[in-house]
Amino acid sequence: MKTTMKIGLFVPCYIDAFFPKTGIATLELLEKCGQHVEYPMTQTCCGQPMANAGCNADAAVAEDLFIRNFARYDAIVVPSGSCANHVRHHFDAIPQTDEVEHVRRNTYELVEFLHDILKVQEFPWAEFPHKVGLHNSCSTLRSLRTASMSELGESFFSKPMALLSHVKGISFVTPKRPDECCGFGGTFCITEEAVSVRMGLDKIQDHYTAGAEYIVSADSSCLMHQQGCAERAGVPIRFIHIAEILNGSRA
Amino acid sequence: MSSREKILARLHNNRPDPDQYPLPSIPPLGERTATRQKFEENLKALGGQVLEQQTWETLEQAIKRYFPHEKVICSAVPEFCGTIRVDELTSPQQADKVDVLVVRSPFGIAETGSIFLSEEELHSLNSVAHLTQHIVVLLSENDLVANMHVAYEQRAEFHHARYGVLMSGPSATADIQGVLIRGAQGVRTLSIWWE
Amino acid sequence: MKVTPVNHAKAAEEFIKDTSHERFHDKRLWDLRQKRDEQMHALPEWQELRSLASQIKEHTLTHLPDYLEQFEANATKNGIHVHWAVDAAEHNRIVGEILKKHGVRSLIKSKSMVTEECEMAPYLAQHGVCVIETDLGERIQQLDKQMPSHIVVPAVHKLASDVAKLFAKHYNTDPDDDDPHSLAWAQRLAARPVILSADAGMTGVNFAVAETGSFVVCTNEGNADLSATVPKLHIATLGIERLVPRMADLGVFIRLLSRSALGSPITQYTTHFRAPQKGSEMHVVLVDNGRSHRLGMKDFWTSLKCIRCGACMNTCPVYRRSGGLSYGAVYSGPIGAIIDPTFNERKYSTLPFASTMNGSCTHVCPVKINIHEQLYQWRRVLAEHHELPFVKREMMRMAGKLLGQPKLYRAALRGAETALSVVPRVLLYNAMNPWGKNRELPPPVSQTFYAWYQENRIKKG
Repeated sequence: MKTTMKIGLFVPCYIDAFFPKTGIATLELLEKCGQHVEYPMTQTCCGQPMANAGCNADAAVAEDLFIRNFARYDAIVVPSGSCANHVRHHFDAIPQTDEVEHVRRNTYELVEFLHDILKVQEFPWAEFPHKVGLHNSCSTLRSLRTASMSELGESFFSKPMALLSHVKGISFVTPKRPDECCGFGGTFCITEEAVSVRMGLDKIQDHYTAGAEYIVSADSSCLMHQQGCAERAGVPIRFIHIAEILNGSRA
Repeated sequence: MSSREKILARLHNNRPDPDQYPLPSIPPLGERTATRQKFEENLKALGGQVLEQQTWETLEQAIKRYFPHEKVICSAVPEFCGTIRVDELTSPQQADKVDVLVVRSPFGIAETGSIFLSEEELHSLNSVAHLTQHIVVLLSENDLVANMHVAYEQRAEFHHARYGVLMSGPSATADIQGVLIRGAQGVRTLSIWWE
Repeated sequence: MKVTPVNHAKAAEEFIKDTSHERFHDKRLWDLRQKRDEQMHALPEWQELRSLASQIKEHTLTHLPDYLEQFEANATKNGIHVHWAVDAAEHNRIVGEILKKHGVRSLIKSKSMVTEECEMAPYLAQHGVCVIETDLGERIQQLDKQMPSHIVVPAVHKLASDVAKLFAKHYNTDPDDDDPHSLAWAQRLAARPVILSADAGMTGVNFAVAETGSFVVCTNEGNADLSATVPKLHIATLGIERLVPRMADLGVFIRLLSRSALGSPITQYTTHFRAPQKGSEMHVVLVDNGRSHRLGMKDFWTSLKCIRCGACMNTCPVYRRSGGLSYGAVYSGPIGAIIDPTFNERKYSTLPFASTMNGSCTHVCPVKINIHEQLYQWRRVLAEHHELPFVKREMMRMAGKLLGQPKLYRAALRGAETALSVVPRVLLYNAMNPWGKNRELPPPVSQTFYAWYQENRIKKG
């Protein structure tokens, strides 16, 4: 079922600055799916960095701006699980008006938006002839619940994998610890540098050993951290955001 | 104000609204049938063993066969003498000399391969169950319960025994580099003799 | 007295440097997590058990005064002496007085986190009582003068070779024989005479049952039963949150405890103490030590549901890499990080930040404590109470301001882009920049998404 909605595209700061291709892919992909998408030019951030550091009051101005930018849309889509999680589950530095509640209720991470709302069944333009390891960020896995988690022993489901399985030529490898956190964790990656890097290395090693050419994820922050670790350690593995594959990127 | 009153008063003042947290009743859960096969499976998984009876073999002969080098065989059951009766041990410490204790358990739990012992079976010398090197437990298939829920619901021993231990295999530890070792500080082996 | 916050990051870095220990630690605990998963898969009713356990605990905690009184009345009727301790000092004093009355010089003890929390052993040592830990892991830690690094496997951060060296020093064994079997045997041989000659025994408590006045101790080594049945005096000590209302509740908790902790269906010993054994005396000490205060903390009271299984530690990707001692507290790992600040907010102010907030802990917890949400909430509380480092606090204040002003933000970002392309690599990768210490920065890009959108969509209309 496809309905046309007025969609506000939220491109988080690190995607804007470091991974613009991911933002472009998200925009083009949503358009290919027949949606009307706008990128409000005065957007900055959802307030997550301040809130996660405990400084919730400092998130208020950013949250307020976020509402001013996005309240007018039917849905707000963001190619980042942790940002979507912040807006939906934590966004409370400002008074919870009807507008705020509307935004919080209608903010979606890209994969869940494609899978649950647009219910996209095919990506005829997409082909990715590579072995990939899927990295579900902890926000998508355990907060947005876009995949089953091993902790609960529930039946297997994976919305990102369901979408990717419509991509020609793609194949998946099975890492030993698919649900293990990669150690990014926001400011954690700076304040707990040693643990963060150790976790990052373990993550990429797990995928590499399983035979992955690419690690694919719905979260650029995890990818940025893992890519940084892999390059320094000389592990020959590449990284790509799920939006780029679904939008038709071949490599 | 005594410490007791202080603690109770603080708890009264600080607790969240008790009416919002009713006590749930516990529905029947888990495997509800008790079989000897299940019991043995789980007993063995936890390191316990079954003394397999050979044709016409008595308990005494089986113990000799399984524990040929053990000297002090202590009995806590009337039909078997051993080398010493548990009542002859007059202090908890004396039980340290026991090599093999023979005792009857009133019930076992199939889910975990556990057997129950209390002061009644141990003739009030509870230490002997732990100071002995090996323990042989007499158990009847009719006295198996299916799982922990059934055990706690049905067995009166949990309400009446002063001391009641569920033993599930021999003592064990994995505290050194994760290596599982059967026979830590308590019994080194636990064996079942079906009767 | 000035309190310095625990430096978890630094201790973790040290632990990680020692590759062989860190690799083993991660592997061993992950192995426990997997064994726990196997047990979960074997029980279709697993999630129902978790819900029941959580509900029973929440009910008990909100009705704790009633259940404590019921427990006391029944235990007293059974011949147990019940004591109440407001804090650690009173707990130690009570135990000390009982021991003094009986002329006790040597006390054998099985694992009890409350006695660690109360720092009882050094107190008793000052009063002339020799305390010997009988649990192997605890004994290793005692000999090495370290805190337990894990609440279930206290010496899990050590290798067999460490234990061999330690035992050689204290038990006169071969320092090169690091076979765990011979080391465990050495402990058995060393412990037996101590157990036989001890004047008193002490145990912790896993569950106390209000309706019967009895209490349950779960162990694997048999040392708690030895400690309780050999000497004539048995003291058991417990935090007041250990209560459950009914005997039948134990079915739920016993089924969850060892499966969650070690991935075994039950501990080798599950012992029910209802009354002193013939000719012996039994005491129970009910310890508050901050628990009644925690019960009043809206966001944190459910941490009192904890049954001390350690599953959150085994699954925690940070704990597995940093080691338990890096938390600098009796309770380490995720559960430690949410209860330690209730003991000392400043000292443990860093612990809620020693987490990636991945949430695995919450979902393995057998009593459904929302651990990662409490970590998040603690961060807020600590910031409000000014327990964040000044630099971090200021950075967040400035970032918050900047992110509220799109024009300023865009200007700053342009600066950063330029910086990335022109500043020499050496400046970005020095020791002051933790990102670059062991990681590369993302490759520079020609334009931001914002610039691309402006060029390709706004201008082209």
